[in-house]
Amino acid sequence: MRKLYRKFQVLLALSLLAVGTVSAQQFSLNGKVTDSGTGEPLAGVNVIVKGTTIGVITDIDGNYNLTIPGTEGVIVASFIGYLTKELPVNSTTGTLNIDMVEDVTNLEEVVVTGLASSVKRSNLANAVSTVSADELLGTTDPQTLDNALYGKLNGVNINANGGAPGGGISVQLRGISTLGAGSSQPLYIVDGVYVDNSTIRTGRTQVSGASSGQNATTQDNAANRIADLNPEDIESIEVLKGSSAAAIYGTRANAGVIIITTKKGKAGKTKVSLRQDLGIARALNLQDFDDWNPDKITAFFGTGERAEAELQAYLQAVAEGRITNWEEEFYGETPLLSNTQVSVSGGNEKTTFYVSGGLRTEDGILKNTGFDRYSIRANIDHKFSKKLDMSLNSNYIRSSTQRGFTGNQNNTGGSIGYNIAYLPSYADIFPDAQGNYPNNPYFNDNPLAIRDLGVNDSNVDRFIVSSAINLNLLQTDNSLLKFTAQGGIDYISANSLVYFPEILQHQQALANPGDVMWGRNDNLNTNWQAFLIFNTNVGKTNFNTQVGTVRLHQSVENLLTRGRGLSGGQTNLRWATVQSIQGQFDQTVTDVGIVAQEEINWDDKIIGTVGVRFDRSTLNRDQDKFYAFPKASVAANIANFDFWTVNNVNQLKLRAAYGETGGLPNFGNTFESLTPQLIGGSLGGQVSVRGVDPNLEPETASELEFGLDASFFGNLISLEATYYIKEVNDLILDQVPAESTGIQAIATNAADLENRGIELALSGSPVRTNNVNWFSKVLYWKNRAEITRLNIPPFTTGGFGPALGTYLIAEGLSPTTIVGTPGDADTPGGFTMHGDRLADFQMTFLNQITLYKNWELSFLFHWKQGGDNINLSAFLWDDGGTTPNWNGDDDGDGIPNGEDRQREWISDNNAGVYIQDASYVKLREIGLYYTLPQNLTTRLFNGLVERVKLGFSGNNLFLWTDYESYDPEVSNFGSQPIASNIEVTPYPTSRRMFFHLNIDF
Amino acid sequence: MKNIFYKLGFALSLIFIISSCEVDEVEDPNNPSLGSVLNDASKAELQTLVSGLEARHRAFYGSATQMFGSFGRELWAYFQSDARFVADWLGIGLDGVTYPDFFASGGTYITPYLAVKQANTLIDAANSSTALTEQERNGYIGFARTIKAYQLLIPLMQQFQNGIRVDVNDPLNPGPILSYDAALQAIRDLLDQAQNELNGSSFAFSLAGFDEFDTPESFTQLNRAIAARASLYAEDWPGTLTNLSDSFLNLEAGAEQMNVGPTIVYGEAPDVNNPLFYPPDAATNTIVIVHPALIEDAIPGDLRVENKFFKRKEAVFNPGVTDADGNDIPGEYQDNRWASNIAPIRFIRNEELILIYAEASAKLDNTNDAVDAINLVRNTWEIGNYTGSTLETDLINEILFQRRYSLWAEAGHRWIDLRRTDRLNDTYIDLRDRGSIFNQVSRRTSETNWDASN
Repeated sequence: MRKLYRKFQVLLALSLLAVGTVSAQQFSLNGKVTDSGTGEPLAGVNVIVKGTTIGVITDIDGNYNLTIPGTEGVIVASFIGYLTKELPVNSTTGTLNIDMVEDVTNLEEVVVTGLASSVKRSNLANAVSTVSADELLGTTDPQTLDNALYGKLNGVNINANGGAPGGGISVQLRGISTLGAGSSQPLYIVDGVYVDNSTIRTGRTQVSGASSGQNATTQDNAANRIADLNPEDIESIEVLKGSSAAAIYGTRANAGVIIITTKKGKAGKTKVSLRQDLGIARALNLQDFDDWNPDKITAFFGTGERAEAELQAYLQAVAEGRITNWEEEFYGETPLLSNTQVSVSGGNEKTTFYVSGGLRTEDGILKNTGFDRYSIRANIDHKFSKKLDMSLNSNYIRSSTQRGFTGNQNNTGGSIGYNIAYLPSYADIFPDAQGNYPNNPYFNDNPLAIRDLGVNDSNVDRFIVSSAINLNLLQTDNSLLKFTAQGGIDYISANSLVYFPEILQHQQALANPGDVMWGRNDNLNTNWQAFLIFNTNVGKTNFNTQVGTVRLHQSVENLLTRGRGLSGGQTNLRWATVQSIQGQFDQTVTDVGIVAQEEINWDDKIIGTVGVRFDRSTLNRDQDKFYAFPKASVAANIANFDFWTVNNVNQLKLRAAYGETGGLPNFGNTFESLTPQLIGGSLGGQVSVRGVDPNLEPETASELEFGLDASFFGNLISLEATYYIKEVNDLILDQVPAESTGIQAIATNAADLENRGIELALSGSPVRTNNVNWFSKVLYWKNRAEITRLNIPPFTTGGFGPALGTYLIAEGLSPTTIVGTPGDADTPGGFTMHGDRLADFQMTFLNQITLYKNWELSFLFHWKQGGDNINLSAFLWDDGGTTPNWNGDDDGDGIPNGEDRQREWISDNNAGVYIQDASYVKLREIGLYYTLPQNLTTRLFNGLVERVKLGFSGNNLFLWTDYESYDPEVSNFGSQPIASNIEVTPYPTSRRMFFHLNIDF
Repeated sequence: MKNIFYKLGFALSLIFIISSCEVDEVEDPNNPSLGSVLNDASKAELQTLVSGLEARHRAFYGSATQMFGSFGRELWAYFQSDARFVADWLGIGLDGVTYPDFFASGGTYITPYLAVKQANTLIDAANSSTALTEQERNGYIGFARTIKAYQLLIPLMQQFQNGIRVDVNDPLNPGPILSYDAALQAIRDLLDQAQNELNGSSFAFSLAGFDEFDTPESFTQLNRAIAARASLYAEDWPGTLTNLSDSFLNLEAGAEQMNVGPTIVYGEAPDVNNPLFYPPDAATNTIVIVHPALIEDAIPGDLRVENKFFKRKEAVFNPGVTDADGNDIPGEYQDNRWASNIAPIRFIRNEELILIYAEASAKLDNTNDAVDAINLVRNTWEIGNYTGSTLETDLINEILFQRRYSLWAEAGHRWIDLRRTDRLNDTYIDLRDRGSIFNQVSRRTSETNWDASN
């Protein structure tokens, strides 16, 4: 530590030497800045004197006033969404009006690239994807933030875990970055706060029996908590995909970083915006289960006593007109979706504010499911003086989610999908006149009773608050020394209830009928950082030096309590015969980091950055050790050099970046502990099945990224091409000793992994006329991953074992290789290779067309080619005779298809039967909007209303796929680095259709 | 400028303050560490390990009963939620051979080895504790070693000729996989060693279960009962009789005498329920079904049938259990032995010891002793004296028949018995479910991998 500070002091001293002296001569300049297209004045434009820190911001009428040292200079005018303009001035200029041209290709956009730095896009050395508020929500109304990112980010694989309301989406940036030790999900940072994206346990897994035991967490089908954020508050999202971009985030950044900036107020007139979305949802892709008839009953049940009884039941149902389409019965609802958002923003030159409130209520396509979110936010910025400003962003959110019972279950019938896989269309399970649900003879419980009487609710109350101060310590004409500090908290209080009343069929079959699970969770993240930033110009070169420290503390307290043997209708634990603690889990983590970074910009021609971060974390085995994460990058703007004379190429940038990041072991993997077990009134301590490797180190990723950015024809068309090689070293894997030793896992640094990929983005405006303005963007990305080293034996992981398809980790193979029975001695691990869940490539196609200024049409297609799923829904449907083509006979062998497949699975012992290609094309978003003409609006609302916009839109409106289930996007086990894309009768995905009304006052 | 440096100094010191904040070392906030019990454990800490061993010791029983019971067609596991409970366990389409990491086979392999690990930890903890007299130390160790030997029998029965590891104390340096015979001998040696340790020891701990086998003397009788079972498996007939004579064998008729034996106990959560209890007539598709051959083959009036099997009002079906015509085989009978979901289970009983006595006697041509012992059992269950041939093979058949009913669904005797007497074939196993017969379960991948890479 000491050493480091000595270095820092030296650096600071050197930088201070570069500070120049103040010149006495000066002249003044004024003028007005306007939009070149509309001629309207632009407020808030930055007008500075090039090579100095002297500058002003235009007022509400676009006017500026500037005093310039010397006798001549160059004025730089820059504004978000416009191309920067440079103009020479001298003491005789006097008044200079500036026309600014809209930046179609976003070259000028300022991109947040680190803890305390931001860079103009045209100077970036990394491919940083940015999503603006308009791109995020401008077309339609996705339910959650992660949902709104679909198809808008290059190199990012987004995969929903299922269709249940309230989120549950996995985001993977540039392939796989961990095999399960660290977080597979990127770090989310909202206004400087490390926000919690964990999935909070509800215990549904235990209640529905999806897996037994104390530690089974992954089949709760709960949402990851990024779902709490209100997308409406977001100004922009920046995605640091690989280690080269994210290195400054150090030990937690292996899976990338998503930086979210929320909206701020602008000085000037107070603006009130109202957004009202009203919509409906319908199931997107129901399968249409196979019909039942006497022929099918014979095929399925044979000819014995049972078959005869089934036939009678069928005939009776036909006579009573009671043949039911169970998918329609359960997933056929048409719920109402409503989203109301109000924001008020404004302020003066000293203080600006943005205040918003949001209310979203959505029901699901399955009765008794839904998602509500209430959000309120206040962002306040205040300038005490030219030298000191501060900001405070605060947000309270309440989310409540009813996700019902779908997915996996065991022995309870506590999953609608699993249950109806076995339910013939003639089954009589409807409640009688008194509301009693009959027993379901085909499964463990009556699915109507599960739907109507089961409860699976969770509520989250959440505060995200951040504050920052900026203090100018030293300012001269061309240098600035700034102190900036930022801190924030993210507090989650979550509670959940999972309840099966005692009257349910499967509960009656238990010794203590009635099961209730209460979950209580407190998560608190606090983080703060302090930086000194020194910015100086020496000639045409700008130096930006930063040093700082960061600190992150996380605590989790989780308690799951359970009551069984419930008194009639009671959910209070005191009314349970058997009251128990299902689990109590506390976790506390502290990270500390030190950061130094130097950025050198030579006249926007060559931009280089070097930096390093040192991190320690209590998650490491050696809690005191600092690990270093260096980075270096360079970007060369060839077109900015004087020799560049090609007219139609406005930008040509070559860039290269290298960086390292880390991934931490899971909490608990560095402890050797006893676990409690009660036996006959004595409390036993059982030796845990987990051992500890004393030499465990964090995972590290290093990435080399190359790219070329070019824009043509006056920046109308731009191309961004990136190639990366991302190596993750010392991956933490559970070494499985011989199981006879009683130790099943020792977390150890056992593998290296390599991701190679390309990302291409082509965007532009093919048509730009007065009446038609067409913007189009194509993204293409692919990623290849390979385990390059594995010093433990190959092993299978995830899923339900080799007979039903599982993943293989073996050297030389993709980490997402799917294997299964039959055995194959030639394959590492001993099973047959059936596929890989990794897509061959993905592509999206975005179009925004503005017609006659008032009409806007936009749509976004998403194509995922290749990648396989383990489709255990099809497995269950075949087992229960419900697959759509069960009773067909495609191969003409006299045996029904469903029976054929089951025989192939069982007799030929072939897990591959249910491993299927999961390619798809989705129309993610489509929207058509109409803005009332200005004069009409003025007339109609007597000048009270500034703008009225109406529209229709759809979200996930169409799906084209050969995959044989509801949605190729699925994950029974939630967000998983490897074991995703396994499905067990999930909640079907829905398409969403909206009417929109936006009013600005 | 002075002002500036003042501010600068202020900012610098702020950075210093923030970054020099101490970070407290984080220890497991949820559990005691293993290290604390291995380093001079107190009696209270040893008691925690003893109770932990009891808990580990009971964990295999449900799984062994269900899986070995399915192999030996004592029962069918009608667990419809996963088709593999019948498809794989009955060997349908598998032609008598399992695959590595066979479906749901960890309960009779990994689980007993967890008990072995716990026993080894208890032995280490007792050895390093300074809070104990030698007698007390021997009590802990003799107890732990006996349980360890008993638990090792379970993976050995599962793996059979594949053999198993016995030396498993160091997770990263385990001993070799011993052959069946060598492993069985090693287990018998452990039992003998434990017997010596128990001799003159004292128990400074309490047991939740074990009923009347919770003193060094009575526990030694249990140790010998286990040794008798092991020597029967080893076909050491004189040794079997010797071990029985020091065990709790009681050659007396009567249901109560038959049932004497140590218990494993159950309770409501956070304790664990009796894994074999299903409420009578429950409308469920998750239930253990008595194999119909047991009903069909029974001698009329056998009280064991009445006591152990409950005829359901409504049959249960499982789409995976079908006859030659493809019709679902109804599940008509369920287990009737347990009064509730917290009823204790006796994991080795006098009835077994009597039948072991009969078998060893028959093998040693003590025909009268064998027949007398058989009749003790037969008369207890009111099916009259044995009147058949006294040729050894007939006597063994009779003993196996009695064992089939006396020891039904008690962790898988039938499959093991038929295998060790060379009768594991479709003469003795009813294959109406169109399945096949496994001789043993494949060696687990982790074991193969370990040996391949070390």
